[in-house]
Amino acid sequence: MSDQRTQVGVPVLRRDLYAKVTGAATYTVDVSPPGTLHAKVVRSSHAHARITRIERDAALATPGVVGIVVAEDLKDLFPRFGHIVPDHCILAIGKVRYYGEPVALVVAESLFAAEDAAAAVEVHYEELDAVMTAGDALADGAPLVHEEFYRAATDESFAAMAAAPTEDGDGGARDNVAHTVELEWGDVDAAFADAHLVVENERVHYPMLYAYAMEPYNAVADFRDGRLHVTSTAQHPFMVRTDLARIFDLPLSRVRVEVPYLGGGYGSKSYTKVEPLAAIGSWATGRPVKLVLDVEESIYTTRADSADVTVRSAFDAEGRIIAREFDVVLDSGAYADNSPLVLAKTVNRCFGPYRVPNLRARGRSVYTNTSPASSYRGFGAPQGSLPGELNIEKAAAELGLDSFEIRRRNLVRPGEEILRGKRGIDADLLGDLEMLANSLQSHAREDSAIGIGFTASDAGAFPVSTAQIRLQVDGSVLVLSGSTEMGQGSESALAQIAAEELGVPLDAVSVAQSDTGTGPYERTTGASRTTTLAGLALQRACTEAKQKVVAMAAEVFGLPEADIASVPGGVQVADRPRVPFGEVISRWFGAAAGEVTGVGLVRREGVTQKMPPFWEVGVVGVDVEVDPDTGAVKVRQLATVADVGFAINPRAVEGQDLGAATQGLGGALFEELIYDGPQLVNPNMVEYRVPRMQDLAERIDTMIAERGDGVGPYGAKGAGEGTLNPMAAAVAGAVAKAIGRWPTRVPLTPERVWRLMNDLPEEDGE
Amino acid sequence: MLGTFTVSRPTELGQALDLIGEESLAYWGGTELFLAMKMQLLMPGNLVDLKGIPQLREIRMSGDELVIGAGTTHDEIATDPGVRGAAGLLSSVTSRVGNSRVRAQGTIGGNLCFAEPRSDLATVLLALDAMVQLQSSSGERRLSITEFLLGPYWTAREPEELLVAVCVPIPAATGVYLKFQFTERPSVAVTAVVSDGGQPCRLAIGAVADVPALHTAESWDEFDAASIAAGIEPVPDLTGSVTYKRHLTEVLVKKAIAAVRAGERDG
Repeated sequence: MSDQRTQVGVPVLRRDLYAKVTGAATYTVDVSPPGTLHAKVVRSSHAHARITRIERDAALATPGVVGIVVAEDLKDLFPRFGHIVPDHCILAIGKVRYYGEPVALVVAESLFAAEDAAAAVEVHYEELDAVMTAGDALADGAPLVHEEFYRAATDESFAAMAAAPTEDGDGGARDNVAHTVELEWGDVDAAFADAHLVVENERVHYPMLYAYAMEPYNAVADFRDGRLHVTSTAQHPFMVRTDLARIFDLPLSRVRVEVPYLGGGYGSKSYTKVEPLAAIGSWATGRPVKLVLDVEESIYTTRADSADVTVRSAFDAEGRIIAREFDVVLDSGAYADNSPLVLAKTVNRCFGPYRVPNLRARGRSVYTNTSPASSYRGFGAPQGSLPGELNIEKAAAELGLDSFEIRRRNLVRPGEEILRGKRGIDADLLGDLEMLANSLQSHAREDSAIGIGFTASDAGAFPVSTAQIRLQVDGSVLVLSGSTEMGQGSESALAQIAAEELGVPLDAVSVAQSDTGTGPYERTTGASRTTTLAGLALQRACTEAKQKVVAMAAEVFGLPEADIASVPGGVQVADRPRVPFGEVISRWFGAAAGEVTGVGLVRREGVTQKMPPFWEVGVVGVDVEVDPDTGAVKVRQLATVADVGFAINPRAVEGQDLGAATQGLGGALFEELIYDGPQLVNPNMVEYRVPRMQDLAERIDTMIAERGDGVGPYGAKGAGEGTLNPMAAAVAGAVAKAIGRWPTRVPLTPERVWRLMNDLPEEDGE
Repeated sequence: MLGTFTVSRPTELGQALDLIGEESLAYWGGTELFLAMKMQLLMPGNLVDLKGIPQLREIRMSGDELVIGAGTTHDEIATDPGVRGAAGLLSSVTSRVGNSRVRAQGTIGGNLCFAEPRSDLATVLLALDAMVQLQSSSGERRLSITEFLLGPYWTAREPEELLVAVCVPIPAATGVYLKFQFTERPSVAVTAVVSDGGQPCRLAIGAVADVPALHTAESWDEFDAASIAAGIEPVPDLTGSVTYKRHLTEVLVKKAIAAVRAGERDG
């Protein structure tokens, strides 16, 4: 079988390459229906304050202003959103919970008019005590971010994605704990009592991050005749549709969410963001409304949860883990967004792909008066693996084992469970480890400081996916998918799968994605699921289409179906020449007209019954040097292993892995959103430092391990997040070896490393 | 977003000088100006676009001076054979300013007038003993870099004055320019130069305090890196605390002096 494959497993150029490089590609910002009005958001200037009065008369008198919407105008709507906890006010109701929170929406004929008027909206506040850190929020008597209780959405899929039951906190009713998760098995206390060695890393901090998609959050909404049409920068248009339908009490069929090319997402465009704002603007004015955020506004819209994690692990004399214990606290900001799931995933992923006979992991997601946190590429794995893997490195040092050997003794073997009762791991981590070791060690120098990291993420999210394939009378093929092309290359991968399944040239296949009004349902574009789940749905759609063509051919030729063979590109009867799909369709309809649609469905059944649908492995290693004078860290080598089962487009897999590793390097060495008082001090691209070309390793080795062990097409599994996840841990471990000190936080900026190596306090004590 | 403003495009220096004032700002590449306008730190009613005045874009030798028109871009200075021959260090530093877009757009005059405390040019020009030439409709004057730079984003230029040229004595001193740069702008920059004429050794330290500082001595032996570092007042920011920046200063001073003594020359 496999040697007959011609369209998959070969590197192809991205389909959007030329359009994007030449600027011809269409993004949400390019969409302007006739008569479009422009919106500007009036934002909170306090971290926590009661809104006492909003004066909009002066602003309404500004030339060109069409309307100004505030929370009290939304009384007849459901004024909140949130797919897990609907706590998120479209416009602040009664009080603001973070600096930058939307308070009013100005809609005008031009963006200039909207901006001028926004500056003229006077919001009066009565300031409240704010909680700016998770520590502040958890303190006795801390001011409450939320006084109300919000009932969580009762969708069992979210429970299925968390290994342990997650519980709503009091929703803020008594404290600031938004969610808690507890995962436990075995007898942890007994194991610690019997341990040969106990290793602890206390309060390891992972920073707040901005995903830095080059495209900020944008949306265009057109509400008319009881229908809402939104074009936006959303990864999950079907999820956004659900939130919008609830706000306006519309049937799902009357809400259309369309997503053109997405200028990067990295998880930060998961779920609803600015769509409700544009939608209420259009609802209030009866005209299309466009909302375009700048970078600073985008940073205040969503960030990654920061984490403080304490980990203790117990080992026997042979260096085998006998127990691990984690305490995780996430600073989730002012609203829950996807943080309950990020929390559940942090807990699922923090202890790593190891045999852990006794485990206790406790997590709390905490509301603070900071910008709301949500999904970010890796989804809890980076936050959890930094302490988890650093702890393994520390144990190796204390046990006298090298980084590779301690993992050889502890990594799960293929098929073994990581999470009790869940799918066993569909990867060969020991095989990956040897690839990594060979690569790094064969290029090591005498003074090399090598750090490695392993993660396994319960990936794929919840397996609900549908796809359609439409065979055209001229032999061309249209693939319809609800999965968003967000730069990851799904347009190319889906085309390759369809071409392979149907036996048609790649050029014959067109792909249309992410339009809830015309395309098929896809639950999400996240958790690295598209190749595996959308790919499976597409394979099934192709199978159905081919079966239909066989049935049609049988009718056309007056033969039993059993006499018709489905062959690449068409059907064949005995030893007669192949009849292409188009000809069968044309003869069946009796005209050069008509088409055949195949539908493919994926749910929790068969190969995708067991959760998670697949494991996404992260296997990375770095070799660093530290400048003794400045503390600056230079990465000499980066090695990654993509354990993807089968690489549909190897070029894309390598690109995704290098991209993810580089993004991980950002959190490891450079990136951090910093609050000073109510505001961020670096909400811009000059002071929020991301990796640059010169920061890349001198030697880069992106390896692909293909063992056909995934449930997706041709044995494929997802990729794209894996190599980000253990990067901070690998870099921190390498730096620890270089300087002989254990970092307790990232990013490891030059000053931090210099202070660490000189045993200086973290900050000047002035 | 930018506010509303008009743009004048004079073609002669005299016209430009008549236009420039408190509400009517000189505009070259806009790399700093537009940022300040977008942040609404500056809200001029008019911009005087000086790119159409050829004499402001000239680089020429005049006696014992290299005269660089204020409207010359970093790239133009970096690639000018005359500058390379007469002031190799300046050529080298301009090739390392900011990023390629800034070097293509930004000008020497704009850079100095904006007085960004982390400017590379101010530091190297201070070491090279350069003068700036200011002109207004009522006259002209020459100031040293020290006289010109009064503080962060603050110069001795009067609103109606235009910086028309930067004059570097030639043959220019030679030496090295070292900086520690982790983010968009340097945390500390140190340049150490000597001239053939046996002038004193000159050490300029920039980017770290409000304005660049100059130290001179007859011999490199007279410089003590630790006490020089202790004497500066670093501005703490996201690229470093006071303690760290003092430390970096000491490190770079030592390295720069060692490099110059070993005969290294940039450019």
